[in-house]
Amino acid sequence: MSAVQISDVIKRYGAFEVVHGISLAIQPEEFVVLVGPSGCGKSTTLRMVAGLEDISEGTISIGGREVNKIAPKDRDVAMVFQNYALYPHLSVAENIAFGLRVRGERREVISQAVSEAAQILGLTDYLSRKPADLSGGQRQRVAMGRAIVRKPKVFLFDEPLSNLDAKLRTYMRAEIKQLHRRMKATSIYVTHDQVEAMTLADRIVIMNFGNIEQVGSPMEVFLEPANTFVAGFIGSPPMNLLDAYIAKRGGAVRAVLAGQSGQSLAVPDAFASAATDGQPIKLGIRPEIMSVRADNAPDVLECAIELVEPLGAEALLHGKAGGQSFIAKEETLYSNHQLNSVSRLGVDSTRIHIFDAATGRTLKTEV
Amino acid sequence: MKQKFRDALRTHAEDLQRDWQLYLLLAPMIIWFALFLYKPMYGLLIAFKDFSIFRGIERSPWVGFAHFEVLFQNDMFIRAFWNTITISGLGLIFAFPVPIILALMFNEVQNAVARRWAQTIVYLPHFISVVIVAGIVINFLSPSTGVVNLLLTRLGFEPIYFLMKPEWFRPVFVSSSVWKEAGFESIVYLAAIAGVSPTLYESARVDGASRWQMMWRITLPCILPTIIIMLIIRIGNLVEVGFEYIILLYRPPTYETSDVVSTFIYRTGLQGTQHDLATAAGLFNAVIAFVLVYSANRISRKVSSTSLW
Repeated sequence: MSAVQISDVIKRYGAFEVVHGISLAIQPEEFVVLVGPSGCGKSTTLRMVAGLEDISEGTISIGGREVNKIAPKDRDVAMVFQNYALYPHLSVAENIAFGLRVRGERREVISQAVSEAAQILGLTDYLSRKPADLSGGQRQRVAMGRAIVRKPKVFLFDEPLSNLDAKLRTYMRAEIKQLHRRMKATSIYVTHDQVEAMTLADRIVIMNFGNIEQVGSPMEVFLEPANTFVAGFIGSPPMNLLDAYIAKRGGAVRAVLAGQSGQSLAVPDAFASAATDGQPIKLGIRPEIMSVRADNAPDVLECAIELVEPLGAEALLHGKAGGQSFIAKEETLYSNHQLNSVSRLGVDSTRIHIFDAATGRTLKTEV
Repeated sequence: MKQKFRDALRTHAEDLQRDWQLYLLLAPMIIWFALFLYKPMYGLLIAFKDFSIFRGIERSPWVGFAHFEVLFQNDMFIRAFWNTITISGLGLIFAFPVPIILALMFNEVQNAVARRWAQTIVYLPHFISVVIVAGIVINFLSPSTGVVNLLLTRLGFEPIYFLMKPEWFRPVFVSSSVWKEAGFESIVYLAAIAGVSPTLYESARVDGASRWQMMWRITLPCILPTIIIMLIIRIGNLVEVGFEYIILLYRPPTYETSDVVSTFIYRTGLQGTQHDLATAAGLFNAVIAFVLVYSANRISRKVSSTSLW
């Protein structure tokens, strides 16, 4: 399998620049997920790797070979599309075989490859069916079958699960993960769904407005967000970002909520050294580190709960602290009535994040 | 039974009351169909009567299938019928594929400006009156001043009286019809091609398909349902050939190959005032057309799962 190197790549449509000189090195056999909101340039980047979009500036290399001027068919990549891109007039077997057939492979080779792929993907019983006779999940598997028979250097997935319902998406996610382990192919996967990104990726690339905001393992980007965008994008519900400022008193450094309440949380050492007294900040608190068990918590926020959303195993508490909205996540050990009447939330202030209010960048010194 | 009928009537009345705006929108079409397509069918009775303009349809005596017997013994009608089938058959073989090929070619032209120009040029003849087209063809093929014969003379050949020779009528008719209509008919196929998902082509590009392979393996199969629908419609019109165009082009010396059912009806019914015989010929034509379109539709449904109804 091959490495993919994206170097200073810019994409322009006329005078409008949509990708602003991104660089990314993808290792052989790595599963990299490009994630970001709609219009952030992730699909455009994938399509440039596939050769479906021209590169305005910069270079893309696959397996050490620059592919800027090389046609998609000669890049040795296979792509799975959001809408499956199955040929409606061809059977499942013919769809899977399409790539090999147009390349003039021998009949026996095609037949062998198709039956192998069908076996891996559980499609053996459906080979003679037309795509219209298949469910969404089966169609997606056919699309993957078409990609894997070619044994390409790189697999490209463009939001392949977006058209599936939530249950099937979870199932197919696991299948893609297993398939990657089995095939050990370099894979680039585009999604706007951060759960897909977290569960599938060896590394996540978070994009916004045509720039890469952060690259890291799923836990890195979750635990150590580089900026407020990443903090707000990764995690469900996302990190609470409250307006605050730094107050240094003696040796103690605290983040004081903006407004009249004067409530504050202790700033962890990793952030404290870079913070200056009075500096306006965004105080990042993950909903998971807030708890109704306030008594033993390192820090406490006085609050008013406005709404409780029970999710089954846990509940989301929508409330306000110092006039600023937040969401907390709590295990459903308490009744709605008990949760509604909460007035103090414990916060594990050792796990809070501090971002510069002006730049949005983290103040953590190790990052 | 009565109760069922009353229930059905009530349901319809309720539907009408609830969706009267939709029925109002539908009304002009229904009125048009009723007035111009269904009411004239009453005139078909003429085919079974010894019709006289002065007695009218009601008071003309019934003659059963007598006119049909006369028709089937009339060599002129038999000739006209086979001429119709032959000219339509030639049209089906030579003219039907041309718009498809044109649409595929337009689809392959990457330069948008060049494509727009090419499309406009081939669409234009459709908007020229058939009388003018006939005039152009007559002038073009004139033995003394026509471009074709001037060219032939320059090349040392004898001039050909194209429109006076029976063997030349069909090629002239079919080729000039193709020139006039093929471009415009290609619009249907271009629209069908526009409906093919671009992702199919992108996927094929990544899979390694060439443009030629994409045309054969994606475009053509994807527009096949449209091709079949157009074919069924064309087969339904197999017994109808462009009446005005034939009238304008044919001459008595070419009747042998150019006289078709519609011109036969024109000469018999309007010029010869044998309205009953002409109506019988028209009805026979319509029945044949119905059988053809029905059979084509059934065959298509069985073979390709595509059908008009």
